[in-house]
Amino acid sequence: MPIRVLPPEVADKIAAGEVVERPASVVKELIENALDAGARTVRVEIREGGIRQIKVQDDGSGIPAAEVPLAVRRHATSKIATAEDLEAIRTLGFRGEALASIASVSLLTLITRHREEATGTRLVVEGGRVQHQERVGHPAGTTVIVEHLFFNTPARRKFLKTPRTEAGHIHRVVSHYALAYPEVRFTYISDGRVVFQTPGSGRLLDAVAVVMGKEMAAQMIPVGEVEMPWPEAPPNPRVWGYVGDPALHRANRQYITIFLNRRWIQDYKLSQAIVQAYHTFLPVGRYPVAVIHVGLDPRLVDVNVHPTKAEVRFRDPRAVFAAVQKAVRAALVQVHPVREPRAEVHWSQPPGWAERRQSLVEAGQGSQQELTLPVEEEPGPLPVSRDPHPETNPPLTSPSQPRGKLLPLLRVIGQVGATYIVAEGPDGLYLIDQHAAHERVLYEKLMAERARQGQVARQQLLTPVPITVDSELAGIVAEHAAALEASGFEIEVFGKDTYLIRAIPAVLSGQDPTRVVEEVLRGLAEEKDVTGDTLEERLITLICKRAAVKGGQVLSDAEMRALVRELEACETPHTCPHGRPTMLHITAQELAKLFGRL
Amino acid sequence: MRVLCLQENLAKGLSVVNRAISSRTTLPILQNVLLRAEAPASLKLSATNLDIAINCWVAAQVEEEGATTVPARLVTDFVNTLPAGERLRMELNVRTQTLHVECDRTEANFRVIDASDFPVIPTGDGESTLTLPPATLRHMIQQVAFAASTDESRPTLTGVYVTTDEQRLVFVATDGYRLAYRATPVDNVPSDLAVIVPARSLNELARIAADADEEGDATVTVTEDRNQVVFRIPGKGTHDSRGAFQRAEIVSQLIDATYPNYKAIIPGKWDTRVVLNTQEFKQSIQRAYLFARESSNIVKLSVVPGDPGALHVHASSSDYGDHHAVLDAIVEGPELEIAFNGRYLLDVLQVLDSPQMVLEMTKPSRPGVIRPVGAGEDEFLYVLMPMNLR
Repeated sequence: MPIRVLPPEVADKIAAGEVVERPASVVKELIENALDAGARTVRVEIREGGIRQIKVQDDGSGIPAAEVPLAVRRHATSKIATAEDLEAIRTLGFRGEALASIASVSLLTLITRHREEATGTRLVVEGGRVQHQERVGHPAGTTVIVEHLFFNTPARRKFLKTPRTEAGHIHRVVSHYALAYPEVRFTYISDGRVVFQTPGSGRLLDAVAVVMGKEMAAQMIPVGEVEMPWPEAPPNPRVWGYVGDPALHRANRQYITIFLNRRWIQDYKLSQAIVQAYHTFLPVGRYPVAVIHVGLDPRLVDVNVHPTKAEVRFRDPRAVFAAVQKAVRAALVQVHPVREPRAEVHWSQPPGWAERRQSLVEAGQGSQQELTLPVEEEPGPLPVSRDPHPETNPPLTSPSQPRGKLLPLLRVIGQVGATYIVAEGPDGLYLIDQHAAHERVLYEKLMAERARQGQVARQQLLTPVPITVDSELAGIVAEHAAALEASGFEIEVFGKDTYLIRAIPAVLSGQDPTRVVEEVLRGLAEEKDVTGDTLEERLITLICKRAAVKGGQVLSDAEMRALVRELEACETPHTCPHGRPTMLHITAQELAKLFGRL
Repeated sequence: MRVLCLQENLAKGLSVVNRAISSRTTLPILQNVLLRAEAPASLKLSATNLDIAINCWVAAQVEEEGATTVPARLVTDFVNTLPAGERLRMELNVRTQTLHVECDRTEANFRVIDASDFPVIPTGDGESTLTLPPATLRHMIQQVAFAASTDESRPTLTGVYVTTDEQRLVFVATDGYRLAYRATPVDNVPSDLAVIVPARSLNELARIAADADEEGDATVTVTEDRNQVVFRIPGKGTHDSRGAFQRAEIVSQLIDATYPNYKAIIPGKWDTRVVLNTQEFKQSIQRAYLFARESSNIVKLSVVPGDPGALHVHASSSDYGDHHAVLDAIVEGPELEIAFNGRYLLDVLQVLDSPQMVLEMTKPSRPGVIRPVGAGEDEFLYVLMPMNLR
């Protein structure tokens, strides 16, 4: 076949394939157009997952009647004018191909009225060809109706999933914009049912509550300055938003939503930064919930990487990564993460033991001036559950909980089931999991030791102990030899699948070296695919797990006291290195309530 | 059964056998102590947790022989509150299955479980018997048993290897990181003695042996089927003694395993040898350990040859500070820097009673040996592996 220039219809269809992948991409482009037009209200209505109809209505500036035919032409846009504008894009769209692409693969109806014009225009385009144009009445703004998507590209249509799946994709897209633009009222209707409607109040948390549910919103921790107005793209990365309490975790990263300059982006590295900020807060293989905004000077980021603009390229990716991780971590460690129950009792000043005990005894008897939370006369839900958004006035705003003293002084009362330590604190009862607590203590000690000396002290064995492992574990020994050595193991090859253990980490001295090594290797094998921690951190976590006192071990009073003292000294005492909680807290109020005194 | 005995003697006997009462058992009979009136003048008390059993004989006036069992905790607490010096009169009422106890103007009746329900406990009448002074036995246990492992996953190492070597009785224990060896010459050594006794049993034995009659002989007997060992301790109890027992026995299960070849572990040579004042070294390690325990127990030793030579003891913790001490020492061989687990050093220094001790080493990565100086015929040594930090 000779080479020839493709007719415009064919070229359009090819280009459309890049922009318009599925109904959700249509919705995305249309919402972006609405937002770029300055809309305060965006209404998205779909039928049958958007395959049959997508209707996006806004109250933006509208298109002047004279420019309407241009709107559906390729590379026609009002958003940029010169190549220099590409260097600092401040609008969501700029390529000038969205509407044209959509129009080329569907039956598109555009109804618009510019703010300063008296009458609106209705334009019908089928498969990229303008069918007719007429003047109509329409409120200021634009409505775009897209029907029979991909009617002229059967191949593409075949690849569409069920309406349900497509609706799910659209739901995600609308959610993202609702979270990115809390000052815009988003209404999302699917098959005649209102799925959600954001208040457009400008408060991110309101949008979070609508999109993710009130329950989830109640467990979100603010990161950075979450109040509007948000900063106008600063030269240094600014990070704000909400992250879930560590108790709130999910099986995958889908609940991590990141926006760059209010554009939803997919960036593995940044979501990894958030996951890493949760280091040791979450159980292995679980992911946090997060809605994080990053503000950055547009000149420091290239969004023109891919037509869907979901991928971006940072000029200094490490700075952005560090900023995100730091901000999220700071928010997490500030918050008192004892999760159950969430009622907070604040004392006007640190009371002495006598006062503390008195308060505990008197809790619920009406003499609670020391408590900042008012006590209701009649029994009712805990104060926290009455407030749908407790985190808008979160406990961390109270300066009485300085970092580093997260755990109050505890008095050990005893042990339950040889597994949990019962302790009394100034604000109620604490149940401490002895194994998890000891793991945390050892973990921080070992990490400190490693940071100081570059490695972990090891204890040599009197005679090397041979260990025969299966080929999987043998592979792990070979692969991670250096990390194992830095963590205090001395293991050398002694034939096929047989190794000699010469030394183990000093913290494990006295234990059966064979079992120690097997357990650590098996731990490494099981967690192989879970990234997030460095290998050595994982090794140290495994070593601590092995070295910590086990549940079922009877501890003496002195041992329990020592353990609790050491836990108090920990930086993050509330979770073990695997992210499980080390303690449960039942406040004085909760106790009083449970006994019907409140 | 009808028997009379002094409150102090009975209280003593009960405190001895109580060590074998397990607080957690599902068998009610194991919570009981077996009382057996034996002619001519003994009351035998027995208790067992099936791992170990303890028999203890106290002086008594036996009017009628017989046996029964009573709850150990109850009868112990009861006897302990009775006035010292009083005589107790005990009589079993078979019909009501109660033990009637009278003392002064107090009377009590204890519900009993029949003696036939009590497990049979073997006594020390086996073949291979050897004798030694009770104090030596106690001393050997103290110097060795601490080095045994507490990790139940390696049962062999939780025991003390009791064996003979020429004309000596040898105790060895190791947990794979350090090893303690103690030998003492004995008469009439059975040539084939080689058993592993749980360290826990020996610790109980040492405790009981503290009250032994030092004039008498302790005996060690392995039962004929070779799965139990019986230690017999002579007591000071006579018919008019107060707070003493006549004799006591500990019967322990043996650990059925092959003990590792410990001889291969004991180093045959040294390059650097340090003679130290035991007390000075112990105190220095105690202080160093205060810091070391916060940082993996690392205690660093540096040997400086010279006249006089010196041993530097160093420990540090990033959170708490550091410790540095210099001890006078007689040093042979080149200088050396080595790190040991402070806990392992302290353990052995607690049981070394000679005024001087020797520390022998070759390399920072090879085991060190600690021996007392001038222990006579008794031989003690302690092998410990260093820690290393590269």
